[in-house]
Amino acid sequence: MMPQIIEADKKMVLVCCGTGCLANGSMEVYQELQQQLANSNVNVSTYTKATGCNGWCEKGPLVKIIPDDITYCQVAAKDVAEVIAKTIGKGELINRLLYRDPKTKQRVKSHHQIDFYKKQHKVALRNIGEIDPASIEDYISRDGYQALNKVLHTMGPGQVVEEVIRSGLRGRGGGGFPTGQKWKACTDVEASVRYIICNGDEGDPGAFMDRSIMEGDPHTVIEGMIIGAYAVEATAGFIYVRDEYSLAVKNLGIAIQDARQKGFLGENILGSRLSFDIEIVRGGGAFVCGEETALMASIEGNVGEPRDKYVYPTEKGLWGQPTVINNVETWANLPVIINDGAEAWASIGTEGSKGTKVFSLVGKVINTGLVEVPMGTTLREIIYEIGGGILNKRKLKAVQTGGPSGGCIPAEMLDMPVDFDSLTAAGSMMGSGGLIVMDDRTCMVEIARYYVNFLAGESCGKCTPCREGLKAMLEILSNFCQGKGSDADLQFLMDTSETMQMMSLCALGRTAANPVLSTLRYFKDEYLAHIHEQHCPAGVCRDLTEFYIDPEPCTGCGLCAQHCPVEAISGEKKEAHVIDQAICIRCGECRNQCKFDAVMIR
Amino acid sequence: MKIMIDQQVLEVNPGVTILEAARQHGIHIPTLCYHEAFGGQGMCRMCMVEVKTSHSRKVVAACTYPVQSGIEVQTSTPEIEKGRRTIVALLYRNAPDSGFMQKLYTDYDCPENGLAVNNGERCILCRLCVRACEEIGSSAISAVLRGTEKRIGTPFDEASAVCIGCAACANICPTEAIAVEQTDQDRTIWNRTFTMVQCRSCGRSFATREQLDYISQKTGLAGLDLEVCDLCRKKKLAAKIEQFAR
Amino acid sequence: MAACIDMQELSSILTRYPPEQRYILAIMQDIQGEYKYLPKTGLQMIADYVDAPLSRIYSMATFYKAFSLVPKGRINFKVCDGTACHIKGSSIIMDQIDKYLNIKPGETTADQEFSMETVNCLGACALAPVVVANEKVHPKVTSSGIIEIIKVYGGPNDAADN
Repeated sequence: MMPQIIEADKKMVLVCCGTGCLANGSMEVYQELQQQLANSNVNVSTYTKATGCNGWCEKGPLVKIIPDDITYCQVAAKDVAEVIAKTIGKGELINRLLYRDPKTKQRVKSHHQIDFYKKQHKVALRNIGEIDPASIEDYISRDGYQALNKVLHTMGPGQVVEEVIRSGLRGRGGGGFPTGQKWKACTDVEASVRYIICNGDEGDPGAFMDRSIMEGDPHTVIEGMIIGAYAVEATAGFIYVRDEYSLAVKNLGIAIQDARQKGFLGENILGSRLSFDIEIVRGGGAFVCGEETALMASIEGNVGEPRDKYVYPTEKGLWGQPTVINNVETWANLPVIINDGAEAWASIGTEGSKGTKVFSLVGKVINTGLVEVPMGTTLREIIYEIGGGILNKRKLKAVQTGGPSGGCIPAEMLDMPVDFDSLTAAGSMMGSGGLIVMDDRTCMVEIARYYVNFLAGESCGKCTPCREGLKAMLEILSNFCQGKGSDADLQFLMDTSETMQMMSLCALGRTAANPVLSTLRYFKDEYLAHIHEQHCPAGVCRDLTEFYIDPEPCTGCGLCAQHCPVEAISGEKKEAHVIDQAICIRCGECRNQCKFDAVMIR
Repeated sequence: MKIMIDQQVLEVNPGVTILEAARQHGIHIPTLCYHEAFGGQGMCRMCMVEVKTSHSRKVVAACTYPVQSGIEVQTSTPEIEKGRRTIVALLYRNAPDSGFMQKLYTDYDCPENGLAVNNGERCILCRLCVRACEEIGSSAISAVLRGTEKRIGTPFDEASAVCIGCAACANICPTEAIAVEQTDQDRTIWNRTFTMVQCRSCGRSFATREQLDYISQKTGLAGLDLEVCDLCRKKKLAAKIEQFAR
Repeated sequence: MAACIDMQELSSILTRYPPEQRYILAIMQDIQGEYKYLPKTGLQMIADYVDAPLSRIYSMATFYKAFSLVPKGRINFKVCDGTACHIKGSSIIMDQIDKYLNIKPGETTADQEFSMETVNCLGACALAPVVVANEKVHPKVTSSGIIEIIKVYGGPNDAADN
């Protein structure tokens, strides 16, 4: 509820309430803020907003104050009183809540001054963190639904399709298929009923771009879908949301209701001939349902098993009707393409990959979170300039892109521009945009095993190459991690991978061998060390790794023993400590804590 | 329309799959999950063939790919044969006891590998049993779970109320993976025991009570009329025909 | 919580939706949300309601990981095994839970107090490793931290001598 707006001297406090900040207590901060402001005698008219994910999860809960442009980090409920009294009441900064730049060691007033934000270019994420996702008025106040108006009253459906083709927009879900071409293919099929689907089944572990968009700016997805419905003359739309994303389901539900009330959904939208409505379908917890034919099977009331796609969904899709399926981020770009025009939108990016891409930068990087950058930005810029470099001053080993269907890009290739074609050429793929940063304490054989294990459980199990191939690969890789296996097994891995690529029924199966193939391509020596020497160079595989303390550098400070969760370390103060191998669980905490590099791995 | 399969030009009807077109002309493409009663399922991937159109060359499943005018199909290439060999080697692990898989393993000259085999199991997940049960109209069994845990079973692995004990599933299974315990009095399958019915003519046990009740329900024929086994029924029919012929 | 299921209550969940096969997933989700698992009788009711074979309903119930055919514990630990959480030690957390509560992923303790499952990425990767206990999200859980969390929820005070 907003108090009466008085012209001058009004302030707005935005509290990030994306899932990440919520887990860190931001809802308590928001509620405390509302409560205390209501009872406060501060002489400034202030209203509050709970926004979606700002993307900078590392420093949450984030609280922003405008128009002062102040950003406070890691705010707790107990800080609220001070924020109201000092910052809102007197315009004073609270230094300890400001971000401290690790390079300059200075406190920074606003997130706009931080590289993490400065170097981003927000298009799909343009509203998130600035608006209350449950408020359609907020969306409208930032050019919301203007693109819809433009399209319904000044453009024909064919023109809209042409505009999208001209923009060069390629699907942001992983396939990278030209969106405009997909829409055109749908319109080429004679039918009285057509469907629009938004694929919100973001399943790549480590990826949360779509979650943030659905939670933090649901209207951009809805507006995009209505524009799409107009272009291909669809009558009904579905947003298929992953079961685990309950906040996204909730916010989308509110947004759809509000859109109906304002006449953006329903019969004769804004006085035009278009009648269109959207239904939310919750997934059942299956990664494979991100594959479009499995997704449609799921909506129809079945297990999520894909089918051969020799006849495309644009010809025969949901319930046999022509269907356009696009990813959340793809839909989120549409209003901007229409408002700004195809040329303007396509003025950033590379030749083959126009526009921006949202990445989830996670893993062993300092600034974990969501970043949106122009296509063509290099991995180096993303990881070091925006991400702030590697955690704990360790060395970068590889970056995993494209989720379980993608591959690893080794540190030597850091200056690679991130776009669809470069990543594919390097043996990986763009995927949905997950960037997992791995340091030298990551074992690439174990990573391959991890992904294969994930896929073995997520495969639908229908076709032989994928189901049986994954089972065999998992056995072999698990053996490698225990120091067992032979060169013949490596050859079998290659043969099985080839069969899976060529003969699997769907994209999950066809790309399931990628984690193995790409780690073998760039990190074969690690595989050989496991097989031939029973040695894990990264010190990760538990059967092959022993942590021990080198008495030379050890000062007996006892920090390691303090943090050992199983009390495996013993020693007198100021004397060299010792790890009991029988108790040690190889978690590595001691090595993380030791300031003298005394904990070694063999 | 005209298509080419293995350098032979063939006349085919639109709407058929490459596999159907090949079979119509006596051209062999290996399959494991295909049955002429059900059509292609696209599961085993043994039937993958290379298709060349005017603008592309790709490997597709013959049992689900609809023919298009002018395509050129190769039913075998070195890569495809290697893939088929790998599929057989992988499936053999699940059914090493089955004569069917043993023969395939030898035919495809599968290489040795150090992987574990699943002694005592025989299912290659071709799902012909599921399709048969579906066609009968019971759908007592289905594919359960997901990924590498996928298997065939009745709900909760308990006796199914809709199973009629017809054993169509066991009969169609290529690897004899479905256990049927049969005596003159009863038949046990999928954890349920059915009483056998004796033929009124020859006394042979030939069907379960539930099977005959089901047929009676579907066709409207009286139960008693159904209690004659297929052999005796043929003899009776032959006798009738002979009578009319005189 | 495998207490007696109220048939009428169960039935009222089904009738929220039209009797069509496309609503099977939604009906199951509502039942799972209400009872924390899918009772056997519920599956038969769905089959009858939408006129589909029980085997198909059962296939769906076992295919989708959102559903459990076995009641979960009073406290259900969901350990995220997404890539970010994995490289930050989620398997060690699962080992710790196993050590203290003697349950592996997918299992429930004999007294039905605790259960554990692994979940796919929850999308809170900056807070890796993440453990969700019922609805509460616990960020950046360490190998010793999980022991504290178990104790807070009423777990055993000493490591069980397994």
